[in-house]
Amino acid sequence: MDNEVRNDIDITNVWKNQGMEMTEISLEGIRQKARKFETRIFWRNLREYVAGAIVVASFGYVILVSHPALIRAGCGLVIAGALYMMYMLRMKGSARTAPAELAFRTCVDFHRQELQRQRDLLRGVWSWYLLPFVPGMAIFLIGLFKNTMEQPNAPAHAGIIVAAFAISGLVCAAVFVGVGMLNQWGARQLQREIDALEELEKESR
Amino acid sequence: METEAIPKRTTRQDEMYREAAAGHGAALERLARGYEADPERRRDLLQEIHLALWQSFAGFDGRCSIRTWVYRVAHNVATSHVIRDHRMYSRTLVGLDVLEALPTEEDRERSVDQRNALEKLLKLIQMLQPLDRQVILSYLEGLDAASIAEITGISPGNVATKIHRIKGILTRRFHEGGSHGQ
Repeated sequence: MDNEVRNDIDITNVWKNQGMEMTEISLEGIRQKARKFETRIFWRNLREYVAGAIVVASFGYVILVSHPALIRAGCGLVIAGALYMMYMLRMKGSARTAPAELAFRTCVDFHRQELQRQRDLLRGVWSWYLLPFVPGMAIFLIGLFKNTMEQPNAPAHAGIIVAAFAISGLVCAAVFVGVGMLNQWGARQLQREIDALEELEKESR
Repeated sequence: METEAIPKRTTRQDEMYREAAAGHGAALERLARGYEADPERRRDLLQEIHLALWQSFAGFDGRCSIRTWVYRVAHNVATSHVIRDHRMYSRTLVGLDVLEALPTEEDRERSVDQRNALEKLLKLIQMLQPLDRQVILSYLEGLDAASIAEITGISPGNVATKIHRIKGILTRRFHEGGSHGQ
């Protein structure tokens, strides 16, 4: 009997006859949500600017109090890299889908373009997220190393200093390469999904 | 999504939205269920869909029917939600081959009432990849292959093949799950 009941259950009936409480959504509620969304974007932008200001202020302070030219040059380049990265974040973050576009584009087309956008973001991590910091960090570390080696008691600890800087450099490089590789792997995964959707679009033409 | 200026007066955009919400509100509620299991997040998703729908009507140009417009907006917003979730929480979505081969979960509930049946069906649907989900959710809402093709962008033939396959897998797994524990 139980089996008979089960076999009689048709998924379409189950779906259509589901009892549910309707969520109350009013036009005023939607307008409020739109305003909240604007507020959220405002705070997100403010956070980005504050983070940027902290980087600029910290490295700017080092420029002001530090004399070695290499260290100051490195700090200047880090600031430039941070500003460039923030600019890119804003540019990429503001490239959002216009609401009507959601209806103009079919689901497959929309899905594919969303995946492509994410893939391009991941692929580009090297150029806009990591690379801008490389010259500044490298020159900063070299300047710091040179400055440390010029201290009166440095020759006595030369081995330790070299090892410490070498490890710092390697750790920085490993983090940069690791983040980059992880993103490239993510981009390849997305590419597989994009290929499958493109294949389906071709079949449907 | 870009947020446009929010007018205070009732506009044609408002009227179109009201009509669409009145005609398709229940379907959108069910659609959100197919995309999000967590009630809180589902409510957010539903609000996001309604917001996008309202905003989208500012650009309505009659290039397709209201129904196609509503479903495209809803599925596209929900797909973005799934992609975001997939990235943030590493939730695994499966293709039909994988779903077919997955071991059936132990189900100790003997009674298969409407609520249990629905939960089981939702669980299966929420595992599907976006396109398969778009197709089966539209089918369950009673849309024909041609309408689903217009919404999704794949050919009616491909839609029919997908429906046949997804429906077969869901029905089989639906009943397999229910027959355990007897």
